[in-house]
Amino acid sequence: MKLRVVHKTTYHYAEAVPSSHHEAHLAPRDGRGQTCLAHAVRISPRPNTTRERRDYFDNRTLYFGIHESHRSLEVVAESDILVHDREHSMLLDKTSWETARDVVTLGRQPESLAAYEFVFGSPYVSADHAELLEFARPSFSAGRPLLDAVADLTERIFGGLTYDPDATETSTPLTDVIQERRGVCQDFAHFQIGCLRSMGLPARYVSGYLSTLPPPGKTRLVGCDASHAWISTYLPSVGWVDFDPVNNMVPGERHVTVAYGRDYGDVTPVRGVIVGGGRHGVRVSVDVAPIAMD
Amino acid sequence: MPRTPTDDSLGWPWRYPEPDARQARDAARAPTPYDETFDASGRLRADWEPLVTQLRTLGLDELRRRWDEARRLLYEHGVSYDAGGGESLARTWNLSPIPVVFGPPTWEPLAAGLAQRARLLDRLLADLYGPQRLIAEGLLPAELVYGHPGFLRPCAGIVPPLGQFLPLYAADVIRGPDGRFAVLTDRPQAPSGVGYALENRIVLSRSLPEAFRDCGVQRLAGFFRTTRDLLRQLAPRGRDNPLIVLLTPGPYSATYFEQAFLAQYLALTLVRGEDLVVRDARVYLKTLAGLKKVDVILRRVNDDFCDPLELRPDSFLGVAGLVESVRAGEVAVVNPLGSGVLQTGAMSPFLPAICRRLLGEDLTLPTVPTYWCGDPRSRSYVESALGELVIKPAFPSGPVEPVFGRELSHDALADLRDRIRKEPSRYVAQEHIDVSVVPSLAGLAGDELAARPVWMRTYAVVAHDGYQVMPGALSRVGGPGARGESKDTWVLASGPVQPLSLLPPPSTPVELSHDESDLPSRIADSLFWLGRYVERAEGTARLVRTIAVRLSDQNGLSDPDLATDLDPLLSMLEAQTYVRRRLDFARDVPGSSSEWPRAAQRGLFGAVFDTAPTGTLRATLAETHRIARTLRDWLSLDAWRAVAHLDQDLRRPIAPSDPSALRALVDLLNRTVTLLAALEGLIAESMTHDQAWRFLDIGRRLERASHVVGLLRSSLASASPREGPVLEALLDIAASATTYRRRYLATLQVCPVVDLLLCDETNPRSALFQLEALSAHMTHLPRSPNTPRTPQQKLVLSVLTELRLADVADLCSVHADAQGTVHAERKRRPLVALLDRVGAQLPALSNSLSAAYFNHAVFTT
Repeated sequence: MKLRVVHKTTYHYAEAVPSSHHEAHLAPRDGRGQTCLAHAVRISPRPNTTRERRDYFDNRTLYFGIHESHRSLEVVAESDILVHDREHSMLLDKTSWETARDVVTLGRQPESLAAYEFVFGSPYVSADHAELLEFARPSFSAGRPLLDAVADLTERIFGGLTYDPDATETSTPLTDVIQERRGVCQDFAHFQIGCLRSMGLPARYVSGYLSTLPPPGKTRLVGCDASHAWISTYLPSVGWVDFDPVNNMVPGERHVTVAYGRDYGDVTPVRGVIVGGGRHGVRVSVDVAPIAMD
Repeated sequence: MPRTPTDDSLGWPWRYPEPDARQARDAARAPTPYDETFDASGRLRADWEPLVTQLRTLGLDELRRRWDEARRLLYEHGVSYDAGGGESLARTWNLSPIPVVFGPPTWEPLAAGLAQRARLLDRLLADLYGPQRLIAEGLLPAELVYGHPGFLRPCAGIVPPLGQFLPLYAADVIRGPDGRFAVLTDRPQAPSGVGYALENRIVLSRSLPEAFRDCGVQRLAGFFRTTRDLLRQLAPRGRDNPLIVLLTPGPYSATYFEQAFLAQYLALTLVRGEDLVVRDARVYLKTLAGLKKVDVILRRVNDDFCDPLELRPDSFLGVAGLVESVRAGEVAVVNPLGSGVLQTGAMSPFLPAICRRLLGEDLTLPTVPTYWCGDPRSRSYVESALGELVIKPAFPSGPVEPVFGRELSHDALADLRDRIRKEPSRYVAQEHIDVSVVPSLAGLAGDELAARPVWMRTYAVVAHDGYQVMPGALSRVGGPGARGESKDTWVLASGPVQPLSLLPPPSTPVELSHDESDLPSRIADSLFWLGRYVERAEGTARLVRTIAVRLSDQNGLSDPDLATDLDPLLSMLEAQTYVRRRLDFARDVPGSSSEWPRAAQRGLFGAVFDTAPTGTLRATLAETHRIARTLRDWLSLDAWRAVAHLDQDLRRPIAPSDPSALRALVDLLNRTVTLLAALEGLIAESMTHDQAWRFLDIGRRLERASHVVGLLRSSLASASPREGPVLEALLDIAASATTYRRRYLATLQVCPVVDLLLCDETNPRSALFQLEALSAHMTHLPRSPNTPRTPQQKLVLSVLTELRLADVADLCSVHADAQGTVHAERKRRPLVALLDRVGAQLPALSNSLSAAYFNHAVFTT
């Protein structure tokens, strides 16, 4: 399937901003079931500087600076992505979670070392939440296959947390999510990452989009899709396997991966440091629509 | 204000555990500390002979006299170190009159060991931020990197200028009972203390000139010259005359004195994050004359605080976009961002093997045996020997207070053991070493010598042919009553000493300079506001004093009359302090109740002592103090003292219910007004009249003009039958009563008062006088050559013209309106209109100055 994503972020400032610096993770990654066919970002007002690079996790990262007084900022990212339905046969893998953990912890292969990075705490998700360990443990009985255990954990988070778009600001501390047991997709993801890390398992945060298909007979609503987040864990000899705790599913061709990192902080879609500006508001809209295959 | 969250502390107080019963018991089997001065048979070591001979010649009394002199020198230099607890506890530096001495045979192997360690850590950083081979090869546990909050992923892949990952290196070094040196802690982040070492040297070489000369002490200046050369060479694209800045966390930093001193000594510009801005991936310094490109940043801010965009978003100490600028190769940061990953004791067990792998050499200078509890075998040892070890966090995020196992109770030990068991990888433990001892003056009167344990911080800088170790150190002694005493450290030369100093010899004529165009905008900004706040405080204090005097000395006036007299004054106070509701209450009640004077009094005390709103006298003086603190280098000690006293005075509120409260308040305000006048005098007379002073004076003039305009606006807007008392008060507050009396004797009339306060260019308190001064200042401010008149000049000119052309008699008349009817409230319309116009132009001028000189809102090159 071919999808076109239009991701629009708009800031309004109460007072003029003389100078601002931003970093954006908006370009979809290639690989693992998807190919980014085209990607462009339009920024208004026009930045004085834009520079693109690959970050530590090889995500495409855009830096831009605006040094003329402005009262609003609009960032529009438009991407065309070819999404293949992912191979799910790996889900039958029976490697136990303990084996998976030990291979990562003790292994020195480049791939398992790369996975090992995601076992440790990160700014948004520390690895030592006692409550999360307690929450996770029932899913990890001795010798249980990793994928089985993580699917079970995903289901229990889906059932145990309330999805509430009003519940959190973008930077809710994980402790609040643990307390309140509600949040948005980002909070679900952080919660699950914390659970996995507390078990000594690697877990990474995946930022992306979800195409929500319309009910039969109705036209697709434009702009109701938001940017989405889910998690990924590492299965030796297979690789990274994604789980979406908000929808209790294994992501398929409706999920578009933009970037991954240790938590939201590594892959924030648009963030910035501004001078002045007073109070500000931000609006985000994401539109995912299928487009015709050539 | 919280302590600056950076590791700029010296890691002090270095403690030496107090002896206790158990220790005394253990003393029998504890090894004897190495004595730096005397050998085992009690004979003086050869290195110490020249020094001790000199000291003996001087005698203890003379030594103490020179010690006192040294302390006076340090006090005069203002050397201080804030050991925690904030500003008020900043202490004068405590320097011992007896240095530590090392001869070449002792020092040279140590220096070689330090240089090797620096080389090793430099290569280690290159690996961690590059290919990470050490992890893949199993020479370093991945956890120590991936789990280290100081491993800055945005910096991975960046190769710093000249490939130097660790241009500066420092290490805390001790000598054990076996006479061997060992490193206690590596300091790879933003090493502090080197400025104190230099200051110690300057002071001690002056108080012991004979000994210093006879001993053949190696100079420190060579080390600093190499440092300065290095900073220049690190400038991107080999810029000829690079701009090098020292980035400080600010005056709240524990070692701020040292940073300012070092900046001066190395001829660097001392800046804070807010002085810098990134444009087009280049770093610029905001100066009065515009933006100047910065080539090299010597940082004393911890690396993770250096860029809120890519590193810690909660940091206010850094510069947004700095990492991108480093990545683009436009600026060099020293030490490079990311070096904080080495700030852990947990790597030291792995250093010997890493040294063989990276350098192909054996590590010659060992670390004090250190155990990382994340390693199971190490942990079980630590658990068993906990009572003998020194425990520290593995990944310190700030100053570290080590825990001495031998000082803990049985329960506390068990508790610590539990915590380690829960999160072993967060702890390291170090063997407790009985460090070597040196002689120090001790006893209550400082009249006896005692052996004291000594720790040294040593420094190295990369040079053309490897690392150059500073021949000297910042030494600290511990033990009872040491109070953080520091010692100069003398390394003796094997041959003749080349005299070298970076301080210009007193005889050489210095290059004359009047240029101040590099004045950082922030300094100009602060001086501007200091001027405004000092003036504002004076205005408020005078106004409150006038009201208080009226209230306390009612002259037999009935309450309603007093209320009528005071009403305009209370309006002025309200307008100035924003203390609205309490004063409203005071003004509503008159006549209706005998409560009125007391209500007015309460309102008045609120306007003085309340911490909020922002206009109260106390809040104004607190703000004055805060701004002055950011300008410590610019204010004389006396000026600074006056500011501190002003702030202190207002922190002890007088209760309005006290029967003598008004009297006490008037006394306090008399003192405040006097101190403020003294402060203004101290500043005006001790600063050169350059751009810095100019901004201070602009602030003062602007504030004074606003003040007098505000006073007239709130008191004379409409005519009333009883204007005498108001006019008298006005003259009082505007410090013009004497002038008036001399000119007009006792006849109080509106016209001459308005003339004197508004349009008399000879009265230094009049609005016109301020505008004339402002106009002169404006012509001296920097501007681009093709601007005939700046917007600020135009603003001043328009107000100036208006005041010059004003017809006072006409202004003060109570006008009939167009229909010829005189309004009941008898408004002085022309006066009000003029004051409102001027009153609107002055804030516009303030904003315009900010935009043009402080914020650099528009980027023009």
